[in-house]
Amino acid sequence: MEVTLLIEATESAFKILEDARNHAAGIMDTTIELMADENRFIKEKRCRAIFTGAQRRKTRFQNFVGTAIILFIFWALLSGHFDLFHLSIGAVCSLTVAYLFHDLLFVNVRVGNIHTMAWRFLKYIPWLLGQILIANMHVAALVLRPKMPINPRIMRFKTKLETDISKVTFANSITLTPGTITIDIRDGEFYVHALSQMVADDLYGGEMEDRVAHIFMEGDHLYVQDVLDAARIYETLGV
Amino acid sequence: MIRESDDVIVKTVARLLMPFITIYALYVVMHGHYSPGGGFQGGVILAAGFILLVVTQGIAPIRKRMSEKIAVIISSIGLSIYAGIGALCLILGGGYLDYGILSRILSVDRAEARSLGILGVEIGVALGVMAVMCTIFFAIFTLDEKNDRRNE
Repeated sequence: MEVTLLIEATESAFKILEDARNHAAGIMDTTIELMADENRFIKEKRCRAIFTGAQRRKTRFQNFVGTAIILFIFWALLSGHFDLFHLSIGAVCSLTVAYLFHDLLFVNVRVGNIHTMAWRFLKYIPWLLGQILIANMHVAALVLRPKMPINPRIMRFKTKLETDISKVTFANSITLTPGTITIDIRDGEFYVHALSQMVADDLYGGEMEDRVAHIFMEGDHLYVQDVLDAARIYETLGV
Repeated sequence: MIRESDDVIVKTVARLLMPFITIYALYVVMHGHYSPGGGFQGGVILAAGFILLVVTQGIAPIRKRMSEKIAVIISSIGLSIYAGIGALCLILGGGYLDYGILSRILSVDRAEARSLGILGVEIGVALGVMAVMCTIFFAIFTLDEKNDRRNE
């Protein structure tokens, strides 16, 4: 009788011990899991920091080199002395200025597309010159006609351009083209003075805006930056 | 207190022009012994570019590049370069700012030493002028801030 009781008591004691052990193991497991989660979180954060840091550093370096090259060309054009002494002073000066002002010339350049933008901008200039020539002849024809059939108006339209630099390029292209003058840009809306119906229609057609958007990769174009951001998100999700 | 300009065209064009204004100012300084220009003019152009940036971008972000303290330090560096080159000529046995005597330590002939000495003095003058112009500008345009602080 007593022996059975003893055995039962031992068994129940063993059971309690087992339970306690299982419980402890469970807690340990959760802790380890949590630790691992935290570790992974920290690691991911560090990776992301390294990634963005490297990206920023790369952009900064690109801006620095680009600014230095442009400034050195400008210096050589101004100076006209091509001996070693003046060129080396020019190199030192342009490197110093580029170091100080590398964030002023290309402030919104996104990663990896600076060459494309420069090339597209160069291709845009001849087109703009052609447009200026056509508009010149149009305005001359208007003014030389005795009746002078001008129809001045101020037009207001919303733009799809986003960055400052593209807005400024577009505004200056409008002003450079005879017959139209940009008055103001306010809250993404252009206020433009147009001399006649034809130039106004031409502007409403939006070819110039499309071309400017094409240079700076805006509007329907995909940002490289966005793709990189998406890649990072996918990496985090493990897809 | 100068606020940021709200015109995107003015702001962007000023930002784009700033490096070119600076390099032009340095060109004026460095070619002062070949063509019109020199330390004073170059320094004024440097300061003008700086003032353009302050007027368009507002004074707060520019303080990171150039503060009152840095301006004072640069102006004293400029003055020290000028006075130092002059004094160096005295020490070497010539008159004050007698650059020809510098040929003894620069290992070039007298004419070349004269040209280099003038260049050095011009750099000093340019730094001094730029920093003093900036100091004057800061003193005038932050007067409101200082008065406000005093009234509080």
